[in-house]
Amino acid sequence: MRSRDGNHSLTLTIPSIIFLLNSLVLNAGEFLISYQYTVKNALLINEQLDISKSMQKCRGIESQSIIFENKYNNSLEKTIADNSEEFTTFLHQLGLIVEHKERTINSQNSSTTRLTLKTTCFKVDFNDTLVRISALK
Amino acid sequence: MKYSIVLLSLLSTLALAQEPTGTPVEKSMDVVTPAPTTSTINVSCPSPNNECVKEHAAPQELVKPATVQEGEILEKDRSLLISVVGQGVAPMNTASPAQAYALAKRAATADAYRLIAEKVKGVRVEGQDLIQNMMVKRSSVRTSVTAMVRNAAVVETTFKEGLCEVEMEITLSHSQFPQ
Repeated sequence: MRSRDGNHSLTLTIPSIIFLLNSLVLNAGEFLISYQYTVKNALLINEQLDISKSMQKCRGIESQSIIFENKYNNSLEKTIADNSEEFTTFLHQLGLIVEHKERTINSQNSSTTRLTLKTTCFKVDFNDTLVRISALK
Repeated sequence: MKYSIVLLSLLSTLALAQEPTGTPVEKSMDVVTPAPTTSTINVSCPSPNNECVKEHAAPQELVKPATVQEGEILEKDRSLLISVVGQGVAPMNTASPAQAYALAKRAATADAYRLIAEKVKGVRVEGQDLIQNMMVKRSSVRTSVTAMVRNAAVVETTFKEGLCEVEMEITLSHSQFPQ
């Protein structure tokens, strides 16, 4: 097959475009992330962040996103661990479910508060230098 | 004549027996208090141990503030700013002061989220008193709230003597609540 100018093979052009795109976005994937932490009597007792690669394609459009430096060779877990404070603040902005229970028995008070981010799909783009994490809605 | 005298004496003794002898004894354990119209109060008294369980509950309704100040109502063309201060305590056994600060801040953030949820959505309150032999054996009050909070912003964080305080704000607008 020949291109319009007749000299350049179109079959060679297509792989070069694919290579160019691949170099711009080295690796992209979708991850499922859930987050939960529990505070009992004003003390943090448990914090849990689960990350797993999505086994099937997620539906939805990108909403809020956060960008980190890609220091750890496309490892999302290590990148998040390195920037845990910023990432949890980002998760808080997405919206958390608050469950609070307090009981006072014979004038003795105890309380439990649990904040939960339900399992949410995130699109993660690994660039040469940056990692872009976007929530899908 | 004899029979009439006997009958009269019998009637008089019966009448004497029915008259109250001393001060009246209140049997409050057997009396079910009529519930007020606003909330539900259930009193159940199992007979053998003279125990009563008195429950106060608002099963379907949330407790709302009695007085609403001006400016606290969400109006159509105006947004409402809610500001809270959450408190959290640093645990004793931490590896470093930085870790203690981070954990206390997390706890304070959760407390601030709880306060926002309570202000916006309200609190469910359930009370239960156990009364045995005219004495309160056990009194319990349970409160709970479940809500989804989004776009709350941390304004200021202070950490002093193991106590972390997080000031948090949220702006509510009428369009966020579908009618």
